[in-house]
Amino acid sequence: MQIDWLAIAPEIVVAVTILGVLAADLVLPRPLKYWTATLAVVGLTLAVVPLILMAASSVETRSLFEGSYVVDDFALVLKGLFLIAGYLVVLMSVSYIESDRYYQGEYYLLLLSSVLGSLVIASARDLIVLFIGVELTTGPLFMLAGWRKGDIRSNEASLKFFILGVLSTAILLWGMAMLYGVSGEVRFDQIRSALADPSPAAQPLVGLAILFVLVGFAFKVSAVPFHFWAPDTYEGAPTPVTAYLSVSSKAAGFVALFVTVYVALRDRVDIWGPGLWALAALSMTIGNLAALRQSNIVRLLAYSSIAQAGFMLVPFAAASVAGEQLAEGLAATVVYLVIYALMNLGAFAVVIQGARRTGTGDIDGWAGLGRIDPRLGVLAAVFFFSLAGIPPLAGWFAKFVMFRAAIAAGSAAATSLAVIAAINAVIALYYYARVAKVVWFDEAPAGAEPATEPPAASLALTLGIAAVATVVVGVFPAVFAVFGEATRVLLASG
Amino acid sequence: MVEDGELGALGADSYTRRGHPDAQVRMSAYFQDYVTVGVFIALGAVLVAVMLGIAAVLRPNNPTRTKQLTYECGVDPVGAGWSQTYVRYYVFGLLFVVFDVEAVFVFPWAVAAERLGLFGVVAITIFMLTLIEGLAYAIKKGVLRWE
Amino acid sequence: MTVTAGWYMTLAALLFGVGLVGIFLRRNALVMFMCIELMLNAVNLTFVAAGRAIGDLEGQVAVFFVLVVAAAEVVVGLAIIVAVFRQRASASVDELAELKG
Repeated sequence: MQIDWLAIAPEIVVAVTILGVLAADLVLPRPLKYWTATLAVVGLTLAVVPLILMAASSVETRSLFEGSYVVDDFALVLKGLFLIAGYLVVLMSVSYIESDRYYQGEYYLLLLSSVLGSLVIASARDLIVLFIGVELTTGPLFMLAGWRKGDIRSNEASLKFFILGVLSTAILLWGMAMLYGVSGEVRFDQIRSALADPSPAAQPLVGLAILFVLVGFAFKVSAVPFHFWAPDTYEGAPTPVTAYLSVSSKAAGFVALFVTVYVALRDRVDIWGPGLWALAALSMTIGNLAALRQSNIVRLLAYSSIAQAGFMLVPFAAASVAGEQLAEGLAATVVYLVIYALMNLGAFAVVIQGARRTGTGDIDGWAGLGRIDPRLGVLAAVFFFSLAGIPPLAGWFAKFVMFRAAIAAGSAAATSLAVIAAINAVIALYYYARVAKVVWFDEAPAGAEPATEPPAASLALTLGIAAVATVVVGVFPAVFAVFGEATRVLLASG
Repeated sequence: MVEDGELGALGADSYTRRGHPDAQVRMSAYFQDYVTVGVFIALGAVLVAVMLGIAAVLRPNNPTRTKQLTYECGVDPVGAGWSQTYVRYYVFGLLFVVFDVEAVFVFPWAVAAERLGLFGVVAITIFMLTLIEGLAYAIKKGVLRWE
Repeated sequence: MTVTAGWYMTLAALLFGVGLVGIFLRRNALVMFMCIELMLNAVNLTFVAAGRAIGDLEGQVAVFFVLVVAAAEVVVGLAIIVAVFRQRASASVDELAELKG
C-alpha cells in the first residue's frame, strides 16, 4: 500500500506523544510527573515540523486512502492553528494543573487526544473519518470538563456537556446516515456527484439530512439556538479547559461543518445557506445581549465566544445565501477563526492570572487590577479591545475581512447580515470596554498592594505569544494574506 | 418521518446504479431462511416438553423443604433474591466493554489477513500494543485488584 | 409482502424519535443516556439497511466505528454520572442547578 507518510506525520507524532505521555505517567514517581507536560510540549512542537516541510514543498494536495484523507493548504493552515492552540493551552495548564494536584499525566493525555482529533478533522474528506475526528475531539473534553472531581459545579459542567455532546453526535450521525442512504457514498467528492442530480423522491430526504447535519454541528460549535450548554460548561470546567473548549473544539466543529457543506453539499447551498444565515444572525445577537448582563468574567467570555462564533460565520453565510464567492467567504471566515483563536486564548490566560491575583472571577472584583499589576492590566486591555475589534489590534483586521467579504457577496440577504453584524459589533464594544474600564478606572479595594511575584513562566509565555501575535497581525495584516489564499485551494480539490 | 414510498423509489434507483436488480429476490430469500429458524425453535420446544412430560410421569413425587431450596452450587441460599453488587464489579464491567468492543476491529483484519500481508500485521500489532498499554495503565492504577 | 430497506429505515426513524422524545421528557441522567444509546442504534440500523439496499459495505464499516465510539461514550458517561452521584446521591439533572445566569 502506498502511503504518503509525510502527509500524516503530524498525526503520527501526536499519537506517539500520547502513548509516550501515558507510559511516562505510569513510570514516573509523583514529584516528577511534570515531565508529562514537557513531553506534551515537545510532541506538539515536533508535529509542526512536517507541517512546515509540507508547506514548503511544491506538492499542493496530498490525497491519501483513496481521497478520504486530504492534506491541502486549507488543512495545513488549520492543523497549524490546532497545534499552536494546543501548545498554548498546555502552557496555560501547567501551573493550573500542578497547583491543585490533579491527575497530570491523564490531563495531558486527554488534551493531546483532543488535538489529534482536530488534526484529523482538518483532513477528513469522508463521513466516517470526519465522524471519528469529531468524536476524538469532543470525547476527551467530557472528562476534562469534569476534571475537578470534588467540585459539584465541575461535575455539573461535565454532565451537561456530555449529554448535549452525545445528543448532538446522535443527531449528526442520523444526518450522515441519511446522506449515505440517498447518495450511497461516504466520500465527500462522491457524495457531491451523487447528489448533483438526485431523483425527485429523494429530495425531501436530502433536505432532512442536511438539516440534521447542520443541527448536529450547531450544537458542537454552540451556535444559537443550540448554545445553552456552553455557558454552564465553560464556567464549571477548569479555566484552561474552557479556553480549549472556546477555541480549539469550537474551531474544530466549524472546520468539520465547513468541510462537509463546502465539499460534499456545495450544490445544495440553497438548503444550508439560509440555515447558516440564521445561525450567524441569532448567535451574534443573542450571544451579545446575554453577555451584557454577565457579572462573571468566564461567563462573559462564554457568551462572547458564542457571539464571536456568529461573527465568524458571517462571511461564509453571506456568501452562501448570495450563492456566489463561496471560496472568498470561506477564506474570510478562516482568517477570522485564526485571529479569534489567538486573541481568545490570550484573554483566557489573562483570566487565569487575574483570578489568581484578585481571588475572584467577578468582574467587579477586578477593580483597580491595572494599578495592582500594570502589565496584566495592559494585556487585559489588549485582548479585550482586540476581541471588540479596535484598531490596530488583530481583532480589527478580522472584523474588516468579515465585513469586506459579506458586502462583496452582494445580495440583499448578505448585506442585511452585514448590517446585523455592524450593530452587534457596537453592542459588543460596550461589554468588552467595561472590563477594561473596571481594570483601569475603578478604585482598587483598600489594602490592595502592587503585585511583586511574577506569573508562572509557562503562563507568562502564553500571554507573551498571544499578545505579540495579536499586535503583529493587527499592525501587519499582510502576514495573513497567505491564509486567505490557502482556502481557495479547497475549491480546486472539491 | 420517512415514507416507505420515497425510500422504495430511492432503493430502486440505487439498484440500477449499483447493478443489483435481484436485490428484492435476495431479500425474500433472506426471510425464507427465518422459516427454518422458526421450525427449529418449534422442534426444540416440543422436544423439551416431551422429555419433561415423560420424566413427570415416571419419577416418584416426594417434595421436602430441602429439595425445594434454590440451588446455589450446594450452598444454602442467604438473603433475598435481589441484592446489590460491589461497585468494583462495575469498573470491571466498563473495562470489559471497552476491550470487548475493540475486538470488532480485529475480526475484519483476521478475515483479510492474507491479502493485507505484512502491512496489516504491523498495523494490527500497533493497535494491539496500544490496547495493551491501556491495560497496563489500568493494572498500574490498581483498577483490576479485587480487595 | 417483501420487507424493503424502507421498512427498516422507518423503524430506525421511529426508534430515533422515541429516543429524542425521551431525552426531552425524562430527567434522570441514566435514562437520558439510555435514550441516546437508542438513537445511536437507530443510526446503526439506518446505516446497515441503507448499505444492504445499495449493496455496499461502507454502511457496515460505519456501524463498526459508531459502535466503538458509543461503547467508549458509555464508559465516559457512566463515569461522569458516578462522579455526580458521589456528590449528590441523585442522578436527576434538575437538581443540578449550581450554574445559572
